[in-house]
Amino acid sequence: MEMLKAIAIGLPLTVLVTILALMIGTVVALPIVAGLRSRNRLIWLMSRGLVDLLRGIPPVVWLFMLYYGISIGAVRLSALQAGVLGLGVVAAAYLAEIFRGAISAVPKGQWEASSALGFHRATVWTRIVGPQTARAAIPAYTTFAIGLLKDSSIASTIGVSEIVFMSSQYARQSGSGILVFFVAAGIYILLSVPLGLLSRHLDVKMRKAVAR
Amino acid sequence: MNNLVDVAIEYGPTLLGGLKVSLTLTILSLALGLPIGLLFSFGVTAKNKAFRYISVFFVEVGRGAPALVLLQLMYYGLPNANLTLSSMASACLALTWTTAAYSAELIRGGMQSVPSGEIEGSHALGMSYRDCLRFVVIPQGLRIALPSLMGFAVLLFQATSLAYSVAVPELMSQAYSIGSSTFQYLPVFIVAGLLYAAISIPATWLSVGAERLLSRHL
Amino acid sequence: MEQLMIELNPQTTQPVVQVKNLAKAYGSNVVLRDVSLSVAEGSVTAMIGPSGAGKSTVLRCMNLLEQPDSGEIVIDGHCINAGKKTSPKSLAALRRSAGMVFQHFNLFPHMTVLRNVSLPQERVLGCSREQANEKSMELLKRMGLADKADQYPSRCSGGQQQRIAIARALALGPRVMLFDEPTSALDPEVGVEVLEVMKELASTGMTMVVVTHEMAFAENVADELVVMADGGIIEKGHPGQILKDPQHERTRRFLRAVLER
Repeated sequence: MEMLKAIAIGLPLTVLVTILALMIGTVVALPIVAGLRSRNRLIWLMSRGLVDLLRGIPPVVWLFMLYYGISIGAVRLSALQAGVLGLGVVAAAYLAEIFRGAISAVPKGQWEASSALGFHRATVWTRIVGPQTARAAIPAYTTFAIGLLKDSSIASTIGVSEIVFMSSQYARQSGSGILVFFVAAGIYILLSVPLGLLSRHLDVKMRKAVAR
Repeated sequence: MNNLVDVAIEYGPTLLGGLKVSLTLTILSLALGLPIGLLFSFGVTAKNKAFRYISVFFVEVGRGAPALVLLQLMYYGLPNANLTLSSMASACLALTWTTAAYSAELIRGGMQSVPSGEIEGSHALGMSYRDCLRFVVIPQGLRIALPSLMGFAVLLFQATSLAYSVAVPELMSQAYSIGSSTFQYLPVFIVAGLLYAAISIPATWLSVGAERLLSRHL
Repeated sequence: MEQLMIELNPQTTQPVVQVKNLAKAYGSNVVLRDVSLSVAEGSVTAMIGPSGAGKSTVLRCMNLLEQPDSGEIVIDGHCINAGKKTSPKSLAALRRSAGMVFQHFNLFPHMTVLRNVSLPQERVLGCSREQANEKSMELLKRMGLADKADQYPSRCSGGQQQRIAIARALALGPRVMLFDEPTSALDPEVGVEVLEVMKELASTGMTMVVVTHEMAFAENVADELVVMADGGIIEKGHPGQILKDPQHERTRRFLRAVLER
């Protein structure tokens, strides 16, 4: 019980890091998607390169660069700031790919029908392609969110006192390592269950809505 | 920029040595994890209860828990059960678990997407259940799963960077120790990052290429 | 040739396939009710009827791709009773004596054409690789596809794939060939290739049961026509006679819909 309490102290930070990184990732992903869909070769190449670089380097390296490597004057990023920012930009790259895939999953006929009906570009995005993209992206998006929840543990390496940080601290103090880490694993699994259920629920609902 | 080149030249050999350890860890975990993953892919739907429960436990925990937790479990946890492993062995064990868990799901997904018509075809020809698995379901399932398994291998390679937390002398831990002794953190981590990218970006292209190549006959 | 067909009268020869009182339902949805059918050696039986009538289900029950709820199936002396548990051995024997051709071919896409035809011979009949390949090449030649042996199925047209599927089934030396809408997934022009092969097969005396929408094939090649609707057989007999003078109102309605198109 004491153990559970010690670990649970890390819970709010795990949730906070996950949610903030997801928000940063989602927002930053949008301009990257636009770049990946751009007809301008230079913009496309830069976006492609950015996505590949962000995904090609392990998150822990980004976090270390931001935490140990970056200082603006004498001011360094706090562990939490570096953790959220690092996980956020890496998330942006993965989410950009998810969104790009979802957009290209909207059948070409939908674009053609929209222009045949004389819709404005904005209308096409908000009413036709946007909603269908969201439907296609949600399963992958929730799967990614579950992955991000687990990756938020990487923030422990730069000292963010979330679940894994608290667990290893407790393990070192108490010397009951096996149980501590199984409990920590259990908490992550429990946290991802509602997300997984939500994903499945939305998927089933949408399959009914856009059954072909 | 000059700084970066200096660091690369000065510490290149040490970092490359670390990269070799990272790659060794990746390959060992794949070599051990993939066969177990194939086994679990049958286990999670097996009729035999013991086999099924064991498979489900390892697959769900392996996928549900962060790799960092599994690494620390093996390194800091197992000694409590009077089982002390070297840092390399415990990291290998943890990442093998991760590999087995993820690949089990990927392989199962691949086998499930073998068109039911082909399985029916083999039944109609009078082929036995075992032959159907051996000649139709497993080869095609693995083939379908191969690109995503390659994608997973890239993520696994990146995950080896977490093994620095259990003192495996791989790329990340080499970079960190150079950084903390010279305070040249940024250039060292950039060089290390580029080394990771130099492996994982082409490997990702390879997995995309494999997907195209293998969907030729489907 | 037509003379010969008529002489092979279904009543006088020993039936190769016998289906007795077959019934099947998915929950409250009855797909087959009390279907009985017998197919004489060397005869061609065509099954027609509106979609959802249960034609394909009867065919798929014959080699137990679908498990009927009740009834009995006898193919070439191998008897399977829906009520009793079937041993894998008798199931394999039954399936070996019935060759099946599917609407969507169901070739194995990861094997060459030759492997597709040879593998079942090796695994089911226990042939050696050489024996199997020899037989396969002979059949592919007969189908006009000898030059496709080393290609993958995806490189072949639909009509070629279906002929490969026919060769694959024939290679096991079946007593009866079951065709489940073999031309429905094909362009009309390509379907002709497959129908030609089937006609040739019929002329060699192969026993065949064909679920089809090809009325010309039903009329000209079949010895026996079975009309199904709503899970039951509503009429059966000589094709010419049924097509000219259908006895049942449901048959008349179906034929009008098909022929007046």
